[in-house]
Amino acid sequence: MTVKFNNRDPVYVQVIRHFKEKIAKGYFEPGQEIPSRRELANQLKINPNTAQRAYKEMGEQGLIFTEGNMPSCITKDEAVLKSVREELIIEAVDLFLGSIKSIDVPLSEVLELVKKKHDAESGEAEESK
Amino acid sequence: MIEVKNVNKKYGRKQVLKDISFTAEKGEITCLIGINGVGKTTIMKAIMALTPINSGEILMDGEKITKESFEKITFIPDTITMLPQMKINEAFAFMADFYKSWNPQRAEELLQFFKLDPNERIANLSKGNTAKVNMLLGLSLDVDYLLMDEPFSGIDIFSREQIAEVFTSHLIEERGVIITTHEISDIEHLIDKAVLMDEGAVLREFSVEEVRENEGKSVVDVMREVYRA
Repeated sequence: MTVKFNNRDPVYVQVIRHFKEKIAKGYFEPGQEIPSRRELANQLKINPNTAQRAYKEMGEQGLIFTEGNMPSCITKDEAVLKSVREELIIEAVDLFLGSIKSIDVPLSEVLELVKKKHDAESGEAEESK
Repeated sequence: MIEVKNVNKKYGRKQVLKDISFTAEKGEITCLIGINGVGKTTIMKAIMALTPINSGEILMDGEKITKESFEKITFIPDTITMLPQMKINEAFAFMADFYKSWNPQRAEELLQFFKLDPNERIANLSKGNTAKVNMLLGLSLDVDYLLMDEPFSGIDIFSREQIAEVFTSHLIEERGVIITTHEISDIEHLIDKAVLMDEGAVLREFSVEEVRENEGKSVVDVMREVYRA
């Protein structure tokens, strides 16, 4: 697990995002155990205090849960998991719309291009398998 | 917590520390940043009572530093202080004689981690490996506070990465660490607090995550603002 962090966003926010992406991709399954705070710090090469902060925040957002002295786990709450995926998709779409807006191009043309590109890329991915 | 309060120091007529104040918490990594010659090493020496100060006060957990403090705080200078003809395991024996807080299990663990041979003479080690032995000797003391002077300077990228890894591990956890550096980029994600210095004075002291959160700035962004102002 390696993550390229940028220097301007809080590292704990970037760690949470990293977890959300993994949840959305299905890499983390509901109820799956996650690394301890210390293991995470070591894997991601971050300060253990930052790992702690990320876990605390994720606990508050309901993304992970901890029972007593047990290791923390990914939530089993379907609604939360679904909202993570939606949140990431909407964020990506917003970003895309933002950058496309400045070029002033009709939506139909853009959608056509998106579809073409997407098909070509998934085709490549199929072949490489 | 280590508190440095209004410390002034002169070498002859030259004032090298000008009303320096900052704190370093236990369980956090505090980084003194500044170009060469701004007084970073002098502050560390002042904390360790290796050099006298003209005025001001330095406290560790609310108390003045005495000779008993050296079982609770240690200084890793930028060059190794062991005799070059010593073998690594002889240096271990020396440390064990000198410090009650020497932890032989931890020293062994670090030898493995750094992949060092205990029968090697210090004089025959490469620069990177000498730096690792130097680090190892300090980290193997069960102290609450560690001061490290330029642990990353002049060594290759892989050794730097290995040393940086120490900062994310249990070897550092719960302890208070003060490190100095003039190149922040390697450790930007590792530190809790930055203290920017110039010409013997503290220009700014800040929590790095707070600045990222509230101002969207990296440590280097803040440095640019402070030093180019």
